[in-house]
Amino acid sequence: MHIILVEDDLPLGTAIQHALEKLSYAVTWLRDGREALAALRDQTADLVLLDLGLPNKDGLEVLAEARRAHVNTPVIVMTARDALEARVRGLDAGADDYLVKPFHVEELSARIRSLTRRAQGLAANRIDVGVLSLDIGTSEAEFRGKRIELTRREFSLLRILMERAGRIVRREHLENSLYGLDNSVGSSALEVQIHALRRKLSFDAIRTIRGVGYMIPRDPT
Amino acid sequence: MRPLSLSGRLRWMIVVVLVAVLLPLGLYSYWRTLKETHELLDGRLAQSARTLDVLIQRAGIDPLRKPGQGLLVVPIIGRQAEEQLMHGRTYETEVGYQVFDLQQRLRLTTANFARLPLPLTPTSGFENYDFEGYGWRVFTLIDDAGGVMIRMGERDDSRRDITHAMWLDLGLPTLLGLPILALLVGWAVKRGLLPLQRLTEALASRAPGSRQPIQLERAPQELQPVVGALNAQLERLEDALERERRFSADVAHELRTPLSSTMIHLDNAVATQILPDTRVALSSAQAGLARLARRIEQLLALARLEAGVAAGQRQAVDLVTIAMNVIDDLAPLLGEGGVEFAFIEHDDHLRLLGYEAALAALLRNLIENAMHHVPSGGQVQLSMHRTGTTIVIDVVDNGPGIPAERRASVFARFHREASSSGDGYGLGLSIVQRAAELHGASIALLDSPLGKGLLVRVSIPVMEKAST
Repeated sequence: MHIILVEDDLPLGTAIQHALEKLSYAVTWLRDGREALAALRDQTADLVLLDLGLPNKDGLEVLAEARRAHVNTPVIVMTARDALEARVRGLDAGADDYLVKPFHVEELSARIRSLTRRAQGLAANRIDVGVLSLDIGTSEAEFRGKRIELTRREFSLLRILMERAGRIVRREHLENSLYGLDNSVGSSALEVQIHALRRKLSFDAIRTIRGVGYMIPRDPT
Repeated sequence: MRPLSLSGRLRWMIVVVLVAVLLPLGLYSYWRTLKETHELLDGRLAQSARTLDVLIQRAGIDPLRKPGQGLLVVPIIGRQAEEQLMHGRTYETEVGYQVFDLQQRLRLTTANFARLPLPLTPTSGFENYDFEGYGWRVFTLIDDAGGVMIRMGERDDSRRDITHAMWLDLGLPTLLGLPILALLVGWAVKRGLLPLQRLTEALASRAPGSRQPIQLERAPQELQPVVGALNAQLERLEDALERERRFSADVAHELRTPLSSTMIHLDNAVATQILPDTRVALSSAQAGLARLARRIEQLLALARLEAGVAAGQRQAVDLVTIAMNVIDDLAPLLGEGGVEFAFIEHDDHLRLLGYEAALAALLRNLIENAMHHVPSGGQVQLSMHRTGTTIVIDVVDNGPGIPAERRASVFARFHREASSSGDGYGLGLSIVQRAAELHGASIALLDSPLGKGLLVRVSIPVMEKAST
């Protein structure tokens, strides 16, 4: 998989390039905003890691221009600015995700996987999160090497949670995805599905954030 | 004490100045009028006496005394009857006169002077008499050549009537004019101070914390320096805040970038084949770096709260959305630790006018602090609701808590609870405190309803209009 890294800081660029190569990604490292825009337009990359403070052209401008040119490559914005600003302005400009510096390699790879999981999953018909994997073709899961049969609802639920592993998925989002606007479904229906999944996997494989939603950790046990 | 009113003061001062000038002027002109009138009437009296003298000289004194009659008495028409007869003749007064020959025998008298006694040594000139209940002004004319002495008098009250009438003509319009003058002064002062009023309104209608220059149409000369000075001050403030914002953004960038490369280099090093001793050392370095990173984030957050956020304007925000975003950001901490986190009991929306970044920092630090202090298997609950004009945020844990007697001291900056592992959580409380201050909110540390632990309660007053 090919990742374009745009970062003007030499030590940080070196570190990230090194980390990504160890994770078996092909990395092209650019240090300039204009070069970055040209590379984005070529659409050769599967994902772009874009620093915001760039010489010649600001990262947000690069991103906005690329999006205007209908470049749909997933972009993760990296910023040394504040989280709030990054969220509001980065996502407005068309970023798929953002990382506030400093961050760990683990965090970076999780974000990359999260963004490419869907695309890769469609290609490979398979989503992997640690020791948990989901076969989209057969609707079967595999947990710690054990094959698990899933109902249609359980499969949909697990797929959403796995595509966003490490993130909290809001309860309302899950309910809408699973039951649509069907009002006849009681509020406990989702709990029943979660309970069933936990029995087939493990209790800790799915975490409850009461009042917010559910999540599958990046490294489920 | 009520503050001094500029317009009230001006009104009073104008009235005082008017009275100070007009009162002596009025009194002087009254006095002058009296004096002139007096002299005028005296003159008239003397003239009448001389006219009578001339008439008597032409006819001789003898014809005044008719044969067989002692004294010629001229009847005087009563003043009241006369007033009815000759309506409006204000300046006609009651007069009386006597004519004597040189032997001081009375030859002619008016009825009202019939019993006026003769002075012992008559001399020419003016005298005042009190006679039969009235005061009289009497002029005596001794004409030695003509052999006649004439006394001509005028009743004082008649003369006073004249001066009264004159005073009324002069004074009444002034007296009536005074209240109108006061009203007009009031109007003029109000009208004159209108630009000041406009400036006050312009200042009052500004959003709190606004640093837009003050626009005042047709500002008068006197207010221009005030508006200019205010705007210059605002501009300097804006510049200073902008510099501070840029500085804090630069500092953030300068600190976070090398921190990032160090962190990732360390991660890379740990991921390679290394000796166990090296791994231990690298883990310690990672832990130390994490602490440094957290401390830096907190100091940056505090700096932003001190400068950047305070400089911005309050905006309509939804506390529930902010909380959800904070929870999303904290997902690794909340979902992967051994502590159960719950966001319970909240309305769909809790809208208020506030600073999003500050409220996010407040919630983030409250949650992080609680999560940090609760041992594995514990609980942390966030709840928020609105009661009346207050939004109450409760963060409850069942950790070790803080003894009641030490709760007051935990808000000192850099303070660390003895049990804390020193990850800058005291600083976190400072952030919470500063963010609360920005919103006029109060913080209370209470006993947790979970049996043990701490309840941190932040009460934010909300303006009514921000509610839905």
